[in-house]
Parts: sequence; structure tokens; C-alpha cells
Amino acid sequence: MYKRIAVVFALFALLVFIGCAKPPDQEIQKANSSIEAARAAEAEEYVPESFQVAMDTLNAANASKQEADGKFALFRSYSKAKALYVSADALASKASQDAAAEKERVKQEVTGLLTQAKAVLDSANAALAKAPKGKGSKADIELIKNDLAAAQASFDDANNDFNAGKYKIAKAKVEAAMQKAQAVIDEIAAAKAKKMGK
Amino acid sequence: MVVLSIILFSGLAFLFLPGQHPPEQSLENAKQALDQAVKASVLRYAEPTYRSAQGLMQKGWMEMAFQNGRLAPFRNYRIADSLLNLATAMAHQATLQAQDRIQKLDSTAQNERAELENELLLCREALDGGSWANFKAERYWSLADMSLKTSELLLDKGEYEEARQTAEKGRKSLHQLVELLAEYANDEAKKIQIWRRWVQETLDESRANGTYAVIVDKAAHKTYLIRSGEIAHVYKCELGYNSAHQKLFSGDGATPEGKYTISTVKRASKFYRALLISYPNQMDKNRFSENKRKGIIAPHARIGGLIEIHGGGGQNRDWTDGCVALTDREMDNIMQYVTVDTPVTIVRRSDRWP
Repeated sequence: MYKRIAVVFALFALLVFIGCAKPPDQEIQKANSSIEAARAAEAEEYVPESFQVAMDTLNAANASKQEADGKFALFRSYSKAKALYVSADALASKASQDAAAEKERVKQEVTGLLTQAKAVLDSANAALAKAPKGKGSKADIELIKNDLAAAQASFDDANNDFNAGKYKIAKAKVEAAMQKAQAVIDEIAAAKAKKMGK
Repeated sequence: MVVLSIILFSGLAFLFLPGQHPPEQSLENAKQALDQAVKASVLRYAEPTYRSAQGLMQKGWMEMAFQNGRLAPFRNYRIADSLLNLATAMAHQATLQAQDRIQKLDSTAQNERAELENELLLCREALDGGSWANFKAERYWSLADMSLKTSELLLDKGEYEEARQTAEKGRKSLHQLVELLAEYANDEAKKIQIWRRWVQETLDESRANGTYAVIVDKAAHKTYLIRSGEIAHVYKCELGYNSAHQKLFSGDGATPEGKYTISTVKRASKFYRALLISYPNQMDKNRFSENKRKGIIAPHARIGGLIEIHGGGGQNRDWTDGCVALTDREMDNIMQYVTVDTPVTIVRRSDRWP
């Protein structure tokens, strides 16, 4: 009789032991690291929606784990939480990659604008060098030089902002510099046309 | 036995009693409020409040999950619900904070931009209304104008603080412009005695010798033909494109200030007719050397020459390289009276005649 009771207890203990699932610690750590990496990659700024989805998934995973933690050991299961952590990890990694890509896209866009602005400034300087010269045009040329110096100053500011990673600000400044330089080119072209018309 | 069965049955029935409903709606509300907050740029303008709201939502969610894990009769979502509702309220608060901050920054930046625009117009009027072109001042004006345009673009992109700073930078350029004009006026006030003396000496000499002399008042843009110490003719004249200053070196576009004489009379010239004057005189040469020594002008700069009173005037602007331009008809007139060695005195400003 005692032997039979001992067997039943042993079986019960084995069942409890088997049923007592372990929390997915590795997946938890991985998902949290990926979220932190995404945050460091400025995913919140560059791909806010993707980051939010990853964050919601991590929260859902935490909730699922918490729910499982609260259950009786025999009925405890972390499989749902584990799957969610794996998913959160993948989503956060994707958000990191997307953020890096988006940041690179903005950077390339501003780089392109800076190159374009440099070309416009060079053209403006070249146009100024070939501007109609004469005793009466020196005052106009001096004023144009001032405008061009202001455009160059804005371009230099834009470059500094770009190097500091302030791409949006750099973009506005380089656009302003480009507009001014283009206005100088147009002004010189109009003066040339006027002179030729005479 | 029956009693035991009833107790057992009641116990089982109790365990399977439906518990409270989890506050799913509160969780959803908190999530939505946080999403809205992110769209309202809270990460940039109200991050601490947003992070608190986010933390409350996570705690509420965890509490809800913890209760979900308990047996139905023991579940109590009161704390979870409270935390989630608090998260929603705080997310709304973060949104309002961000909106308020943006509004204030926008308003400050707009004010700064408007002030800059206003000051630019005032300075433009001051520059246009002046007697002459002042290129150094114009440079400050161009920089300020550039700042205005940049700040407008930054405002369009929602970069309020940078827009404000850019407009402020533009206003600083204008303040430098105003200081420059004040400094210039101050310099004039110091030199007016010298110019008065030159004019008086020229008039006295003309009166004593019964000869002709020429006095140029740069500020008035007038050239006076003097006969025996009295005005014989007044001509409107045009000057160097950088007429506001004393001539310092060749190519600076300034008309010299000093006492000279006519050195050559040219009956034919590129600009109709011309009277070459004896620039540079000894004072000009001394000043040139001193300025070079002090590093005010470049070491390779030259003092220049070929300053004339010539024709081609009537353009209503200062356009020469430093010469004094009259209309061709006025050149014909003045050349009837002046010859080589006729004194020519050029002053920046004279308060002798209205």
C-alpha cells in the first residue's frame, strides 16, 4: 500500500517538475537588447511607427510572461511569451535597420543638396568673374559680392550642421544658400542681356 | 459523504466562477493616447512626461497580465485600470505640453523673424537714404537678409528654435550695421573741423588772389566753382561707387578727400573731357604708408591715381572708380574757367552752404 502511494507521489512530483516551464530568459534578453539598439539608432525619430510596433510586441510579450508567471506551475506555459519575444526582437532589429536606412537616405539627400549648392555657388562665382565690367558696374558688382558672401556663409553653416548630424537644419540652410546664389546668377545674366541689348 | 461532496462541488464551482473583465479598453486607450503623443512630437518637446506615461502604461499592462494569471475569483483589475487610465491622462498631458511648447517656440521665432524683417526695412531705408554707398554696411545687410530667408525656411520645416536663433543672428548683423553707421557719423563729427578749415583756406586763397577754385562736397553731391571767394556755379556731381569713405588705396572705389590742384586739362577723354587732379598729395601718401604699416590695407595694395573731374555724369548714382563726374554740358561750362594749378578741395561734408 505504502509502495503504491509512494509511486503516485513520485509520478505527481515528476509531472509538476515537467510542467514547471522555465521563462524564456534568453529571448527576453535578446528582445530587450534589440529594443535598446533600435532606440540608439534613433528609430523613434526616423521610423516611429515601426519602433512602436516593436515596442508594443515587447510589452505584449512581457504581459504574456507576467500572466504565465501568475499561473499555477502545472498550467504555466511561456510558449506564447517566447514567440512574442522572438517577434519583438525581429521587429526591433528591423526598426534599427530601417532607421539606419532612413537616416542614410536623409543624409544622402542633404549631401546631394550640398553638392548641388556648391555647384551653384561655383557657377555664381564664375558668372561674377565674367560679369560685364565697366566703370558704372563696379557698385553693382560690390553688392553682388556681398550677396554671394552671405550665400557662402549660409552654405558653410549648413556644412557645419550636416557634420553635426543636424540634417533637417542643414537642409534649410543649404536651400537658402542655393536660392541666393541662383538669384545672383539670374541677376548677372539679366545685366549681360541688358548690356547686349544696348 | 454528501456534505463532503457539496463542499467539494461548491469549491469547484467557486473556482470556475466568472471573474472581473480585464481593462482591455483602458489599455487600448492608453496605447492610442501614446501614439497620438508621438505624432505631436512629444519625444522632442515633452519627453519626460511621455516617458512617465509610457512607464505607467507598461506597469498597468503588467498588472493586468498578473491578474489574468490568477484564478478568476481572485482577479482584481482595479490597480491595472487605474494605472492605464493614469497613463492615458499623462499621455494627453504630454501631447498638450508639446503643443504648448511648439506654439511658444513658433510664436517666439515668428516674433524674432518679424522684428528682423522690420529692422531690415528700416536699415534699408537708412542705407538708401544716405548720401552714399557704404559697402561694409551693405555686407551686414546682406547677411541679415540671408538670415531672414533661412529662418523662414526653418520655420516651414518646424525647426522653431533654430529659426529663432537664425533670425537673432540676422538682427546681430543689423546691430553691427547700425554701430558702423554710428561710428561713421562719429568719425565725421571729429573730422568736420578739418574740412571746414580746408574749405575756408580755399575760399580765402581764391579771394586773396582773385582766382578760381573748385570745392567738392561729397555728402551734398555738389561741386562748387568759386571765383574770388564766392560761388560762381554749383554743379550736381556723381562720385566713386564707395563714396562714403576717404580713399585708402587703388581700386577701393572711394573719392579722395583733401586739397589738390588740377594737374592736366584733357580736352578729349574717355568720359568726354577731364581735369586730372593731383591725387595723391603728401597727406595721402603718409596715410597710405601708415595704413600699410598697421596692416589696415594689404601689403600689395597701391595708392592709385588718375582721379579726375570728368564728363559722363547724369546717371543719378555713384558709379565712378573715385572720380567726380559732371554732365558733359557742365564739363564744357567748368572748363571755361579752370586751368592747370586751379585748386580743387574735396571734403566729405561741408556745413558752409545749405
